[in-house]
Amino acid sequence: MANNSDRSIVLTGATGFLGAFLMAGLLERGYRVTVLGRSSNGRSLVERVSSLTRWFGIHADNRLSCVEADFSKKHLGLDDHIYGSLCAHTGKLIHCASDTSFLERNRARVMEMNVKSISALLEFAEDAAVEKFYYISSAYASGIRDGICLESPVTGGSFTNVYEESKAMAENSVISACERTGIPLCILRPSIVFGHSGTGMALKFNALYYAVKSLLVIRDIFIKDILEQGGVRAGQWGFRLESDGMLRMPLGIRLKTMGIVNLVPVDYFVEAAMRIIEEPGSFGIYHITSDNPPEITALMEYAERFLHIRGIRLVLGSLARNSELNPAEELFNKFMEQYRPYLADTRSFDRSRIDRITGGLAVPPFHYEVFRRCMNYAVQNNWGRINGFPC
Amino acid sequence: MVEVNMLRIRQGVFLKEPNECEKEGLCSEALSISRNCRHYAMCKVDFLETGVCASGSEKHYASFYPVGRMDLYAALSDGMVPVTEKCLEITDSCNLCGKCDYQCYFVSEMRPSKVMKALKRYVNDFVKSGGKIVHCRDDEILTGFKAIVGDFWATNDPAVRIAYHHDLCPHVTFHMPEYVILPGTKEEISSVIRLLNRYDIPYAVRGNGASSHGLVFSEGAVIDLNRMKTIEFHEKNWFVKAGPGVASYDLQYAARQKGYRVHTAEPAALVCANLMTSGILSTFSTTYGISADNYIDAEFVGRDGSFFRLNDIRSPNLFSFDPALSEHPPFAVCVSVSIKLHPVTHDEEGVLVPFASLGGALAFAEECAVRHIGLAIGILGSDFVSTFMAPSKKLAAAVKRVFEEKLDMPFVVLVIGDRYAMRAIREMGHPVIDQSLFKTLYMGLPSLESAEWLDLLEGLSDDKCYSYLLLSGFGELASIALAPSPAQLARTIDPELRKVFTDIYSRPEMSDLAWLNTFRIQSSRYCRENPCVALVCYLPVDVSLITEILRGLCSIADRHGIRNGFGFITPFDNGKRCVWEYDYYFDNNDPDGLERIRQAAEEAGCLLDEYSRKTGTVRQVRYVTNQGCCRKENLLYAWEGEELNGQ
Repeated sequence: MANNSDRSIVLTGATGFLGAFLMAGLLERGYRVTVLGRSSNGRSLVERVSSLTRWFGIHADNRLSCVEADFSKKHLGLDDHIYGSLCAHTGKLIHCASDTSFLERNRARVMEMNVKSISALLEFAEDAAVEKFYYISSAYASGIRDGICLESPVTGGSFTNVYEESKAMAENSVISACERTGIPLCILRPSIVFGHSGTGMALKFNALYYAVKSLLVIRDIFIKDILEQGGVRAGQWGFRLESDGMLRMPLGIRLKTMGIVNLVPVDYFVEAAMRIIEEPGSFGIYHITSDNPPEITALMEYAERFLHIRGIRLVLGSLARNSELNPAEELFNKFMEQYRPYLADTRSFDRSRIDRITGGLAVPPFHYEVFRRCMNYAVQNNWGRINGFPC
Repeated sequence: MVEVNMLRIRQGVFLKEPNECEKEGLCSEALSISRNCRHYAMCKVDFLETGVCASGSEKHYASFYPVGRMDLYAALSDGMVPVTEKCLEITDSCNLCGKCDYQCYFVSEMRPSKVMKALKRYVNDFVKSGGKIVHCRDDEILTGFKAIVGDFWATNDPAVRIAYHHDLCPHVTFHMPEYVILPGTKEEISSVIRLLNRYDIPYAVRGNGASSHGLVFSEGAVIDLNRMKTIEFHEKNWFVKAGPGVASYDLQYAARQKGYRVHTAEPAALVCANLMTSGILSTFSTTYGISADNYIDAEFVGRDGSFFRLNDIRSPNLFSFDPALSEHPPFAVCVSVSIKLHPVTHDEEGVLVPFASLGGALAFAEECAVRHIGLAIGILGSDFVSTFMAPSKKLAAAVKRVFEEKLDMPFVVLVIGDRYAMRAIREMGHPVIDQSLFKTLYMGLPSLESAEWLDLLEGLSDDKCYSYLLLSGFGELASIALAPSPAQLARTIDPELRKVFTDIYSRPEMSDLAWLNTFRIQSSRYCRENPCVALVCYLPVDVSLITEILRGLCSIADRHGIRNGFGFITPFDNGKRCVWEYDYYFDNNDPDGLERIRQAAEEAGCLLDEYSRKTGTVRQVRYVTNQGCCRKENLLYAWEGEELNGQ
């Protein structure tokens, strides 16, 4: 439980998926939270955060405050008085803000946000003499490697995308800065986080959601063609409604190898993070990952079941030429391109330290019911596009 | 009988309340339609091949076309004209065939037939109630005109004259002419001009095509050349000679029948009138040029009634350009133009090349122009693309959102070219919306906004934008998803017209980018939502200069609360220059809106003038008025003697 200190936990990235759930978790446990962030799309930080607290159903009273800050500027772009006051009242600092784009074309933006802006926050941590700095990284900051990834600093290597690379660079910056200043440091490395295993709630619908949404959209295109246009075009590509109402949807997912997808529900991420935060002896790197991640085939089966389709198959080995694909699988595989490395991933993650610090906190199992719950939530909220959905 | 001389004309009369209309026996819907007529005269050309107003074709006065009846109905409601003999004739001459509905709806989503019906009802009620029909007596001058052109072809009847009274140009004080004269030959024009000169009567000349710039109005007389529609082909020497009443569409159609293309403006714009005003500009300017590039020769009747030709050493030097800021009065009446014929190959097609930034679009368009890739090039903003494609305002707004937000295509570069040009573009590595995909998107337009599969595009990982367009399956999946068909496209159209439009959209040319850009039948849609002031200028293909000016134009418009948008840019003369149209939209029925557009347009003009002085390369098209036959070299590159800053 939170202590009664006047000093609050300062949190960045509270309007993102993980940050929002972390904020909710902290508030639910009675912490005072100061959110550092920015306005966006004409909405102030206060408005953005308020929409989140409403969504979570949290009454934060006076325990939540917001400070609009610019991480690219000295003193976070704040005037001296506000900066000084912020320093005086900061206990712990959780840096969760991140640009999660995998796209190389966004390299400059990702590096600016994920790497360059760290220095202003580290300077702030030093000025505030924070009790501890918590950096939310990624399990994939370990880079491309065979076998097990240890809960230890990154040592070179190559990366799947600019996001992973930026996270590795940021970890190294944070480690060396904290070593220099003596600020205690914890690095939390979650793998792929999806919705709440109990309620299905989620804030962002990328990764696993994007794959399922792609299949759903393709499914609906062909069902519409069958029901409204007679299905001649659908039939041409082997799409048909079967007698039990399922859509036969011949669609090959092209992967180099059979992969294991390391998914953790956001509730586990929050609970593990809380235990780390609340444990005075926590330090170093923790993998918030699954100890029993599903194979890609299990996800395919869940997706088929959820979407009432059949015909999804794995095409392993060398990638087929486009001319051999039907339009749907050509598009689907294109949609999946940025996630493909994670579907064919064979990395596993050492969990010794996380197990120790969390007292063996179990990762909720990823079975069909959890999958269904999360996807239902996404569909009901139109993948975050319904009016009033916090963003 | 009551004699009517000049009527006092009020400017800026605005919509009546529905109950007020009802009391006066007027139909408020018809009145609203008539007041919103854009005067683009698309009802005068058979661009849909559904036929054109029979009475207009026979009687030629603007008043006998639907556009004239719209003006007449509005004028009757305002008390600007009484019910006259010509009013009865004009009203009776409409057979309510409804052809004007197809034409007007295609362009502006309006149904003039509702006005035609309301006009008949109003006039019939007036007659039944014993209202006095006004007879207009001939004066001495009119008798003189009639002696030249024949009784029917000159009049002072206000029901006719009202159709020559105004257009939607917000900058002009309009005048009702005292006479309207329709000569049939250049000799008759000469005689009419001499007579006008003798009585010192000011006059304006018009071909009776589109009118939107306030250039064809006079308090004295209007000489209407609509009867002079001759088209003579001289294929051996690659030109076609067109009379002053020939509209662009009709000339293009005739050229097409013989396997050629001519460089023309919008369908209802008249070929000779273009020469007299701005010269011809279009996306085909990339290849065919501007101004004097387009003509072999032209014939004129001078202000003194004499005849001369462009290609005559004793004629005034019409190839020169005078940059003086004052308005240039028409120096003569153009009575024919010999316009160049261009060859057409069977493999012409069009593509749209999407860009996320104006800079990217400009660089590509310039490169194509420099390398002579493509016949026609146009950088189009999403406003234009959506408006041209969508058959309704509502759908256009949705399509604009799709292009900007879902497809991330705020700009597309249209290129028309042969198969070698198409190959070159592909080799340049740009993903394109090709002819086939364009047809899919176009015919499936109503389904585009709700197409959830477009949401997935933003998640694509390629570092190259629009790489999905390179997938062979994209077009196929889009086709399955959108279920494109003429009926689908017509589904957002007024149910009464849906069948006709389904048939129209079924024609192959209606989704053929090359045909559509040759005939430009969709381009008048750009003022469907509101009329606009088009700020057009020539300038270098310089992204920083264009961006700077764009910001300035946008800022002026925003300050005055005026909707504004990037129109199009076409590079020409091997990419050395481009022509750019930026649009300010206004509500012609809102006095405050009219005042704001006047101020904004004036400020925008000053801004462009400032850039002209600053750079010595920016030339506003408004200064070309009545100098349309100048050489582009004189217009664009000969700045010697002009006061420039910084040089």
